Amino acid sequence: MECKTNNPAVWRFTVHFIVLMLLYAVFSILSTCVLLLLHPTGIVIWLLALLPALPIGGAVVLTGRYMSEEKDEFQRAVLVQALLGGIGATLVVTTAWGFLENYAHFQRLNILMIWPLYLIFVGISYGLVKARYR
Amino acid sequence: MKNRLRVLRAERDWSQADLAQRLEISRQSVNAIETGKFDPSLPLAFKLARLFETTIEAIFTDEN
Repeated sequence: MECKTNNPAVWRFTVHFIVLMLLYAVFSILSTCVLLLLHPTGIVIWLLALLPALPIGGAVVLTGRYMSEEKDEFQRAVLVQALLGGIGATLVVTTAWGFLENYAHFQRLNILMIWPLYLIFVGISYGLVKARYR
Repeated sequence: MKNRLRVLRAERDWSQADLAQRLEISRQSVNAIETGKFDPSLPLAFKLARLFETTIEAIFTDEN
């Protein structure tokens, strides 16, 4: 999971992850535009809503594939800890925020912010885990 | 887990990168194992033992 690497598994993961996130951005814009401008009905709404979520599912599958391709057990352990840190922080923050919304009149958190929040937390967690092993 | 990797490596005049290349793992992994912050799996421990032509017990010490 480092930038300077000749590890083919890391390269594949990085390139495919970037492609998936570009797809996420394109599908998000596309779905938003179609929903706002064309006011579709019925199953089309569901399909348009699902479209930007597909690259996120792809990212999860991609992470699983990287785990099975990565031969370096230490790097796998670091990533698992970083992912756990990211999942944990996202769950804690969003749950606490939910209570603040309901009972302390805090601003509503757009649920679409959960994915970027998760990525930020995984990034922070990855840095912390790596620092622990230095 | 304590280990003698640094000594064994020094005896052969290998850098962490050299050892990492021979084991097909990252230099960070070698460093983490060497400093006792990460315990290798049994297959990797065997690989280390074979590489240094010794036994796992001669490399790693159980602290208990």
